[in-house]
Formats: sequence, C-alpha cells, structure tokens
Amino acid sequence: MKILVCIKQVPDMESKFRIAADGRWYDQGDLVFRMNEYDEYAVEQAVRLKEQVGGADLTVLSIGSERVKETMKKALAMGCDRGVHVADDTVAGKDPMTIAGIIAEYAKAQNFSCIFTGMQSQDRGSGQVGVLLAEMLGLPAVTTIVDFTYDGSLFSVKRELEGGTRAKVAVQSPAVFTCQLGLNTPRYPTLPNIMKAKKKELGSIPVDQLQKTAILQETERLYFPEKKSGGLILEGDAADLADRLIGILKEKTAVLA
Amino acid sequence: MFPCFPGSLAGPARIVGPGLKPIVRAGPFLQEWNTKDMKFELTEEQNLIRDMVREFAEKEVAPSAAIRDEEERFDRALMFDRLGELGLTGIVFPEEYGGAGADYLSYAIAVEELSRVCASTGVTLSAHLSLCANPIFLFGSEEQKQQFLAPLARGEKMGAFGLTEPSAGSDAGGTKTTAVKDGDNWVLNGTKIFITNAGDAETYVVFARTDKEAQKHHGISAFIVEKGTPGFSFGKKEKKMGIRSSPTMELVFENCRIPGSQLLGELGQGFKIAMKTLDGGRIGIASQALGIAQGALEAAVNYAKERKQFDTPIAKFQGVQFQLADMATQIEASRLLVYNAAYKASAGLSYSQASAMAKLMASETAMRVTTQAVQILGGYGYTREFPVERMMRDAKITEIYEGTSEVQRLVIGSALTR
Repeated sequence: MKILVCIKQVPDMESKFRIAADGRWYDQGDLVFRMNEYDEYAVEQAVRLKEQVGGADLTVLSIGSERVKETMKKALAMGCDRGVHVADDTVAGKDPMTIAGIIAEYAKAQNFSCIFTGMQSQDRGSGQVGVLLAEMLGLPAVTTIVDFTYDGSLFSVKRELEGGTRAKVAVQSPAVFTCQLGLNTPRYPTLPNIMKAKKKELGSIPVDQLQKTAILQETERLYFPEKKSGGLILEGDAADLADRLIGILKEKTAVLA
Repeated sequence: MFPCFPGSLAGPARIVGPGLKPIVRAGPFLQEWNTKDMKFELTEEQNLIRDMVREFAEKEVAPSAAIRDEEERFDRALMFDRLGELGLTGIVFPEEYGGAGADYLSYAIAVEELSRVCASTGVTLSAHLSLCANPIFLFGSEEQKQQFLAPLARGEKMGAFGLTEPSAGSDAGGTKTTAVKDGDNWVLNGTKIFITNAGDAETYVVFARTDKEAQKHHGISAFIVEKGTPGFSFGKKEKKMGIRSSPTMELVFENCRIPGSQLLGELGQGFKIAMKTLDGGRIGIASQALGIAQGALEAAVNYAKERKQFDTPIAKFQGVQFQLADMATQIEASRLLVYNAAYKASAGLSYSQASAMAKLMASETAMRVTTQAVQILGGYGYTREFPVERMMRDAKITEIYEGTSEVQRLVIGSALTR
C-alpha cells in the first residue's frame, strides 16, 4: 500500500504576528515555525496505517522554501519513509486551488491508496486543499475525521459534525482523509528515530514542474480587526446587578435560554 | 562547530602586561580562529531533539513538578521510564549498546530542556547517563558493556554513582570504603553519602580503596554493583533544600560480595575513572543549571509583562528591563560555554577545562538569575504558587555537586599555572 501525507509548516501560534510590508500576508521574519497541528494527527494516522499494513510505503509531502524541510524531518522521525519537498519560495501567495493542483500533479501518477492531510492549516485555514485534491484526483474525500480503522479492505472512519453528532463512514481505497484534532495522540519523534531520519530520502522538486495553472485568487490585504470597545461595567446593589446581568445574558447570548 | 571566541589571530593569543613576560592564554582561546568552523546554528537533528524534549517536558513533566517537589516524590514512570521510551537514556552511546548514537550537544540540550521545567528530572538523567552509563562505556570491557551498559542505555535499568563519603567529598582521595579480594570475588565495606538516584537505581558505579598502602589517589578502584546484591543496602534518605523530587540516599556496604568481573577498568585506576567521569558529569550539571536559569528568566519575563504597578506593566520600567537584560546575557554566555564543552566532548578534544568553566559559569548564573527572578516576582515569587522559589532552591545544588564552584576554580586555575 502506498500512503501519502501532506503537511504544512506554519508559525507557532503563540507568536506575535506582524503584517508584512506588502500588506498581503504576515511577516515571516522572527517567527518560530512548526508543523501545522492538524497535520500532526494526519502524520500519526498515516504512520499507524503503515505499521498495521505490512510492506506499506509512506511518503510525506510539503510545499515551501528550504525551511520547510525541518518540519518534514520531524515527519520522517515520526515514521514516514521518504519525503518529497516541492521547492517554492512564494507558496504563501498561492490559493488553495493552486496548492491542491501542485499536489495532484505529483500524486496522479503515484497510485496512492490513501492520502491524509490536516482538515485545515492554522495560518490560512481555508480547509479546502484536501477536498480539492480529492476532486482533482477523482477520489472520494472524507473530511474532519476523528476516528480511523482499516480492516484490510475497507476504511471505516468517524466524522465530527456540528451539534455534537458523529457520522460513521465506510469508504474503499483509494481515498483522501482530512484530519481533525483529537483523532489520535501524535507520537514524539524518539531520539533514535530522529537520528535514523537523517538517512531517509528527502528530495526536492522545483514547483515549476508541478504547477500547471495560474493563481486564481489573491489575498488583497491582511489586517488585524479593529479592537472592540471595552467591556460593560455594571454598578449598583447586588440584587439589581443580578437582574440586569440575567437580562443581558438572555438578550445577547445563548448562555441562558 | 563551537570553537570559542573569535580573536584576530591564527595562533595562541598572547597577553602582555607592563613589565611582565608574555603569558599564553589557556583554554578555548588557544583554538585557532577558523571562520568556516564558526557555526553557532544547531543541526536539524539537534533542533528536532530540542523541540521533542521541550514538548515532552512542557506537556508531561511540568504539570507535576511543583507537587513532586512538595511531596519530595520521585516518579520513576515519568522521570525515567518515559525518558527511556523517548531514547534519552542512552543519547550519546552507539546503537550496538542500546544508545541513539547522538552527540554530547544533543545530550546537553535534553538535560537543559528537562531542567527548564523540572531540575529534578534533569539531574535524574544526568546522573544516570554521565555518572553511571558513561564510565562503563569509557572503561568497561565488552562483556560489561553488553551486560550493564546496554540495559542502562535502553532505559530498562537506572544508574547511579557512588563516590562521595562522609570524609571524601572534594577530596576524592580520602575514600575509606574498602574492597578486599577474596578468591575471585571482591568484598566491599563502607558507606557512601549524597547519592543521586540511589534506592531506585539498579546499577551503581562505586569507588573503594583496594590498596591501603598506596598513595591516597592510587589505591582506589571502581566497581559495578547491582541493587539486590547481599550486603548492599540503603541508608537514610536526605531531606534537601532543592531538587526534592530527585532521591538522594546513602549506600551501605556490609561484607558485600561481588564477582571479580565487576571491577571497572584496571585495579587502582579508580581515581582517574572518577575524575574523567566528573569531567563529563559537569556538562550534565552545567546543562541542568542552564535550564533552571532559562526557566526562571522566562517566568520573570512573563510575570513582568502581566504585573501592573502604578498602572504600568513592570516590564516597561527600565529598572526591571535592565535586570532582565543582565539575566538573559549571562544565560546566553553560559549557554555558549556549555555547548562549547559539549562540542569538545563530541569532537574527542580535551574538555576538562571547558566543562569546568561551563559548570562554574552556568551554576553561578543559575543562582544569580533565579534569585533575581524571585525579586522581580516580589511577594509572589516568595510563595510556592509560582515556580521561581523552587528554581532558586534547585539552583543552589548546581554550585555544590559534581565539584563545587571552588573545585571548578581549582581545575581551571591549576591548568593555567601549570
């Protein structure tokens, strides 16, 4: 079985973000980068599937500058067999359709049985790449998965829906899965595996070889929303305050029905 | 990769004072200045190791650090077994002995990151790896490495080191514990004190006098003793100021009989083994001190940004900023010394002086920085609600064990004036 997991390198979300000089994205200087959290669950699930299926081969793919290789190394240390780095210094300006197109161009001839990715990235958060990729490859997409099993012929997954409900879905290979937080417990890359990852294949492909279409949408402006005005301060005696507070909670929130 | 400071020179630096003959600077300054070797970036692997250990430390070790300190409780499953699962218990040893085959810098980073949240966990790893597994790796026979080192490196067994005695601390030559040959066996008698990991550890490297007649440094030998050996028991558990989640106990040997095959290295080589082991141990303790200081700095910065006095976060006051600046600068200087010593150990260069300098600087920095952190947190810093008072108590031991600051100065000073 050939498995693909697509990951993205994103800034640590604890970072202090600044808008870049061109006003279209955040300034990437002085940021600490890590693996998109949703993708960590995707990598873990892919490695578990690989470990379950004897003789499986697991490729990790990421698009970006030379810097994203650091994050790919973590995926290799977690258990991926090889890395495919799509070298692209301008990936931040590309829309989900273009990104999915690049991955599809690489994946179309590879006959992957199973493709995992995070349900969204922590920085752009479009949630579209996995679904668009499935569409381009003509594969079924199962999104927002929170549970995954494979019985040797069928993938059985649970999806998280709104309102606390879940849906159980069975799908045949090949298929694309986008992973929700909590799907599993991503492993730490152990020290021996970090050392072994050094020897794993990690090749680069120039993005020009894989990007066949022009960008369809552009982010015009990135900005911080204006700060809302400060909180409401109620004054008076306790009984009166309680009544007014209940009134506000009923009127403006769903806390009290 | 971390040859020390740049000089404008291709040979040894010379300092000439008025009326003095030129003296050659000792230590790292002697290294040739070579631009292409002057790399201060960590490798991708070292960065991955730091990220992994930091994540583990923050998620799993930090949450219980305060309560373990309060209860003086060692949590073996968390503080040792988990380290084994992550491959940290044998970082620097080759794969054939159950290790990960990484370098000393990776080891220093691991101890630093653990100590940043819990100095007790940091010293557990340092004592196990530097003081027990490492001398077996350096001086053990192939059979000893297979039998004792491999389970230590894999984290199946925990290690400890028994050198200090009531009358032999900085003066290791004062060792009074004896080992007497009886047929093929050795019979040990005596008491060791202040032994980190004691009680819980399975494997002990122990020093004993094998020749009463020899000059005091020459009559000492090293032995590997396993927990459970008849005649080997544990005395009282120390009640300590800091690193209270790390067990410290006495080892008691009463006619403890061990096979001749458990002599480590050659007969009478014990003092040399102890000194060589402590050279490496200092990198571990220096890393521990570095981690404690880093943790305290971060706590102080975070607090200073939140805490308002006179309607202003105290971090906006220059008086506070200057303190934080000094703390950060001293920590960074310590880090360079620690990493330089670790680099030298990995590169097979002499690192006795470098590790003494690293430990001296890092431990005194840890004491100063944690004290300042308590000051910045004020009344809150003095309570056990915040971690800085624990860090201050933990920092003190780094100036004492594995060679006091005075002994480090002796090591450095005697090399300078040899």
